[in-house]
Amino acid sequence: MIDVCDLKTYYSTGFLCRTEVRAVDGVSFGIKKGETLGLVGESGCGKTTLGRSLLRLIEPTGGRVVFDGTNITALSRKDLRRFRPRMQMIFQDAYASLNPRMRVRESITEPLRIHGLEDRAGIGRRVRELIEMVGLNEEHLNRRPYELSGGQNQRVVLARVLALEPEFIVADEPTAGLDVSVQAQILTLFRDLGRDYHTACLYISHDLGVVRAMSDRVAVMLKGRIVEIGPTADVLDRPCHSYTRRLVAASSADRGFSRPAPCPALPGSPVMVEVQSGHWVEAAAR
Amino acid sequence: MPGRNAALYLSLGVVLVYCAVALFAPVIAPFDPFVISGPPLAPPDAAHLLGTNDLAQDIFSRLIWGTRATLILGFLGAVVSVVMGTTVGIVAGYYGGRIDEAVMRFLDVMMTIPFFPLLLVLTIFLRPGIYVTAVIMGLLGGLGSVRIIRSQVLSLAVADFVVGTKALGARDGYIMARHILPNVLPLVGVKFVTSAQHFMLVGIGLGFLGMGDPNVVDWGQMIERASKNGGIVLGLWWWLIPPGLAVTGISLALAWFAYACEERINPRFQVMRV
Repeated sequence: MIDVCDLKTYYSTGFLCRTEVRAVDGVSFGIKKGETLGLVGESGCGKTTLGRSLLRLIEPTGGRVVFDGTNITALSRKDLRRFRPRMQMIFQDAYASLNPRMRVRESITEPLRIHGLEDRAGIGRRVRELIEMVGLNEEHLNRRPYELSGGQNQRVVLARVLALEPEFIVADEPTAGLDVSVQAQILTLFRDLGRDYHTACLYISHDLGVVRAMSDRVAVMLKGRIVEIGPTADVLDRPCHSYTRRLVAASSADRGFSRPAPCPALPGSPVMVEVQSGHWVEAAAR
Repeated sequence: MPGRNAALYLSLGVVLVYCAVALFAPVIAPFDPFVISGPPLAPPDAAHLLGTNDLAQDIFSRLIWGTRATLILGFLGAVVSVVMGTTVGIVAGYYGGRIDEAVMRFLDVMMTIPFFPLLLVLTIFLRPGIYVTAVIMGLLGGLGSVRIIRSQVLSLAVADFVVGTKALGARDGYIMARHILPNVLPLVGVKFVTSAQHFMLVGIGLGFLGMGDPNVVDWGQMIERASKNGGIVLGLWWWLIPPGLAVTGISLALAWFAYACEERINPRFQVMRV
């Protein structure tokens, strides 16, 4: 459903001596309908930039993103705006994702009004439906973001995004700011809703536990490049790239798991190598 | 904090009284401010509450009518300055990039030119009436508000809720009006009050320098007349002091009001008060 081909996003700073930061440096992958791809990597490796570049919330420098046969990177501003409801984004900080001056009702109605999806009565019905779907009730509709907890705010964000019934969601660490019990509730909700709507999802996180629970496949990102990608269990249990190994070792060490089994050595050329069906590793860094 | 609230309401009350006086000037003033209403340079008595000036015009009536001109200068100037500052500030801050760069460099150049001398030169050449003066002041003085609003918008434009709304497929105009504007509005309000105070004083200054609109009475021109035509030399306090006090009163009230509002909208001040 989504095909990303050699996507590049560079930031350049400075006027006279231009310096370039390659936040996303030639990334290619695909996500099928209803599939969740987990994206892990350290802070600053370009995860967030990649997520936003896919939706053209940051303009990519090069490459292509093809969504359901439409090349998003080539759309005009106007066409892009019409296309936007089909792909949505959820941010880490739920409180910051809601306009502090808008009531919950307005925030959830907004996407419906922008696209003129329903008449007045229809909007009222749909908003009640959405708010119950994410596990809140009508009484919350008249509150403002600062009157709700982090978890409740994230539910509101979810309702706002789901109002458009998107086919693809980029979730940028949606539970990182929440405490563990709330995290679990939101994750369950997110997974169930994703299943109901058959939504494709790019789930960005640095928490391997969360990614393991949420995703069908995992991509590991390092310095703007994807160094390993494959089925979740494969990548996390039999990591092949040295960086993935360190990552898995670091997260399993404090949980008392055994160290992952090493993988056969790979020939040292800078290309992606398929070690198992669907499990690709960048071979240069070994 | 009752003390702070008292300052807020008291200052607001004073401003409202001035506005009422300006609005009902024809009803309150006993004489036409331009006609000869008695002997010249008369001291205060029952008919002329504040005496008369050298042209035998009633000073009390002139003071009342002067409120109008002074408030128009201040508030109209503030409206122009704030509307321009907010519009340009939001557009520059939201789009960023080349638009922002162009606006900022233009402002940098403009801000090296001192405000008051430029205003003087423009007034000498254009000989504007009171409304045009207010608009010119607003445009020149609004350059500073552009920077203040823009800096606030820069951080709002990358806030998650703005990016999120963009992702919903909203138009830029919609985002600026519904999401950015409401969040800079408190700042705009405070800027409006401080600008009004500033422009009022500038207007008085222009009048005092003889650049005022001769067709209206304003306090600056009253002070100018008093100081040039013997009010100070002869020690005629009722001629010089009342317009001065009136200016001080409105100026203090507006400044207080602005401080009180600023404290309310700025959470950092509230923490510091603990």
